[in-house]
Amino acid sequence: MVSTQTPLEDMLFRGEPDWLRDRRQSAFETYTRLPMPSKTDEEWRRSDVSKFDPSAYFEFEHVMAHMTYAVNMPDGVIIESLPVAAKEHRDLVEPYLFSLLRPDRDRFTALHAALFTGGNFVYVPDGTVIEEPIRAENYSRQGGTAVLPHTLIVAGRNTRFNYLDEYVAEDDAEGGYRTGSTEIFLGEGAQVGYVAVQKWGRNVWHFADQRAELQKDSSLKLFNVTLGGKFSKTRVEASLAGEGSNAELKAIYFASGEQFFDFHTLQDHSVGNTRSDLLFKGALQDVARTVYAGLIRIEKHAARSDAYQANRNLVLSDKAKATSIPMLEIDNNDVRCTHGATVGPVDPEHMFYLRSRGIPAATARRMLIQGFFGDVLERIPFDHARKLVEAELESRIG
Amino acid sequence: MATVPKVEVGTDYKEKYGFFVPEDFIFKAKRGLNPEIVKEISWMKKEPEWMTKMRLRSLEIFRKKPMPTWGADLSVIDFENIFYYLQATDKQSKTWEDLPPDIKATYDRLGVPEAERKFLAGVSAQYESEVVYHSLQENLTKQGVIFTDTDSALRDHPELFKEYFGTVIPPADNKFSALNTAVWSGGSFIYVPKGVRVEIPLQAYFRINAENMGQFERTLIICDEGSFVHYIEGCTAPIYSTDSLHSAVVEIIVKKNARCRYTTIQNWSTNVYNLVTKRAMAYADATMEWVDGNLGSQITMKYPSVYLMEPGAKGDVLSVAFAGKGQHQDAGGKMIHVAPNTTSTITSKSISKAGGRTSYRGHIKIYPGANNCKSFVKCDALLLDDESRSDTYPYNDVDAENVTLGHEATVSKVSDEQLFYLMSRGITRNEAETMIVNGFIEPFTKELPLEYAVELNRLIQLEMEGSVG
Repeated sequence: MVSTQTPLEDMLFRGEPDWLRDRRQSAFETYTRLPMPSKTDEEWRRSDVSKFDPSAYFEFEHVMAHMTYAVNMPDGVIIESLPVAAKEHRDLVEPYLFSLLRPDRDRFTALHAALFTGGNFVYVPDGTVIEEPIRAENYSRQGGTAVLPHTLIVAGRNTRFNYLDEYVAEDDAEGGYRTGSTEIFLGEGAQVGYVAVQKWGRNVWHFADQRAELQKDSSLKLFNVTLGGKFSKTRVEASLAGEGSNAELKAIYFASGEQFFDFHTLQDHSVGNTRSDLLFKGALQDVARTVYAGLIRIEKHAARSDAYQANRNLVLSDKAKATSIPMLEIDNNDVRCTHGATVGPVDPEHMFYLRSRGIPAATARRMLIQGFFGDVLERIPFDHARKLVEAELESRIG
Repeated sequence: MATVPKVEVGTDYKEKYGFFVPEDFIFKAKRGLNPEIVKEISWMKKEPEWMTKMRLRSLEIFRKKPMPTWGADLSVIDFENIFYYLQATDKQSKTWEDLPPDIKATYDRLGVPEAERKFLAGVSAQYESEVVYHSLQENLTKQGVIFTDTDSALRDHPELFKEYFGTVIPPADNKFSALNTAVWSGGSFIYVPKGVRVEIPLQAYFRINAENMGQFERTLIICDEGSFVHYIEGCTAPIYSTDSLHSAVVEIIVKKNARCRYTTIQNWSTNVYNLVTKRAMAYADATMEWVDGNLGSQITMKYPSVYLMEPGAKGDVLSVAFAGKGQHQDAGGKMIHVAPNTTSTITSKSISKAGGRTSYRGHIKIYPGANNCKSFVKCDALLLDDESRSDTYPYNDVDAENVTLGHEATVSKVSDEQLFYLMSRGITRNEAETMIVNGFIEPFTKELPLEYAVELNRLIQLEMEGSVG
């Protein structure tokens, strides 16, 4: 796509510190070096990226995220756009940025690392509690462009706060290239709630990697909502690196029209006494297709780990297609591991019950879909995000 | 309750299986694989030309297809260092007395005639690559049931054979089905005519008895409309130091309203690579049941599958895998729903011990238009120590309306409470663990004929003794 480095620098690197320019340059070299994922690559074989041409979306939108947070932030908290933070807080940003999401993982991660536009850096020092959620609205104002925000969250010891990333588009008709990746570092005892609501236009390509690393006794509540894009590939990964850490990974998705959603999840228990709980729930209608592939990995020494993984799909039309691949790799026997997957239609008995109470078919169907999502919506870690997601779902279930 | 029966399986097992009789071959093809060897095999068997051509075409497919990159590590298989054909005696024996003495000695130890006396309808035991002993009770012959070795079937029932051979699993299905089609030898051929119910199980023992010898049996079962048959395949093999390859193909056609059950207890010695393709086509209201137990071999890759071709078809897989030291059991099942109103279940129980690895790998596929299907998969894994490993890889693809699909899996260890309870009753730890493991696989054991259930329990006991204490 970008053949020389001059236009790249003009467009993206302007004003950025040298270390970040070097990183971008190196990520871009990685991108050009890595091949396209092949059909035999397990992680990509069900997602067809052959028609994705990033050079078609060469125009970058540089609208910074709109941030909302309490005015009286505790001392030491940094909430800053990533390019600015890279200059002013190099010591805090450099060691973390793209250390969880390594650019050499694959071509798309590399491209995001090379070209990311804006995004935010949040640093919460040890012992700090922030009651009001920090909210970021990442905007796309036009079609045919690239919008590639990156969120970097560093939570110090015994911190507690919530963060919301919203991905909003004003244009729903044109194509585009979108990413929305997030790295979250949880220090000892940190409690972080993170919600990402992806509602880009219906015709864009979206690639997102959300990955967290949890130190001792920390707790993450991550909630992912996927609604937009014609192609959306999201990887949600938690690395349980400290004893006593606990990751709750929840998601809902609603795919309609010709949308294709692909989710890959990883619950990586590398040490013992760790806990993870994953639930991905989705509804599909029209000719939409979804893929869920998740892995629980319990490594050799991760004794007394407890992991749960479930994927539930509600199929609302005969042309929609759901694939579900919940996987386990267990290398230690002193663990508790359970997973499950279901794919099914609206329960005809439930439908009959509601209809027999005089409720019109369309209303009954809507109630059943809302009921399907109900239990997982309760797990959204904070009120503001819950209301937002509920309203969003309401309008789509129609 | 106070006394615990002591079963001495260790020595008994060694006596029963871990021996081998001197090799005595009429014909032994050279090591390695090339068109000349394939032609020689076909010529030795006096096969019709279409089969020779099919073998040669399959060899080409085998050469072209890459090795699978998923599942177990197969890189150590040296295809050039394997005997692809052996024939131990030159003619089929009709009665037990006709068998050569050393072969008879083998079967005496395996208990074949006893079994026959008890309840088996027919015995077709494979010694090396040829079926040498075969009998079928008279009333079955009268009913028109054919139970023979696959080579004889090609000779004696050419039309029936040609109509079905390679239709369920074509040579190009995968690398190892291509290999099997190129060099197959032996196996069972069963035809059950319309409306005939074979009430007693048909059974064959398969054995590998020569070093570095591949065994490529080919089984074809046709259940005509409204018929029923239960086929039992038991495998034991003496222990050798170099790796052996076993790559069978089993094709089954279950026609309208028919039911077929296929039971396997695989107990190859722990240097055998067991790479098997097993598939059945089930038509309207037919039922296909795979009961599949994998205890032996170094590596097993086997996923019995059912293609549910017409409405009302039903598929069942019940699978047990036990992996001890150095073993990797990559087993599971596949259910392909082609027609609407079809149902399937897969139940998998796996046990890993002493560094062994069990993997459940399964695929549920519901094709467009296959509406109103139901499928349920349940996998339970038991890890007996912290060196062992268990994986679950279930692939579920739903492409039709009003389909209910469920998958559940758990991984656990032997619970401390259960152990404590049993040990507080004076049972040793090893015995208690054995009891718990036998209880864990009970849903599987209870589907087996009594004789096999007993044998399986004893094998588990033996495997358990090997490690603990």
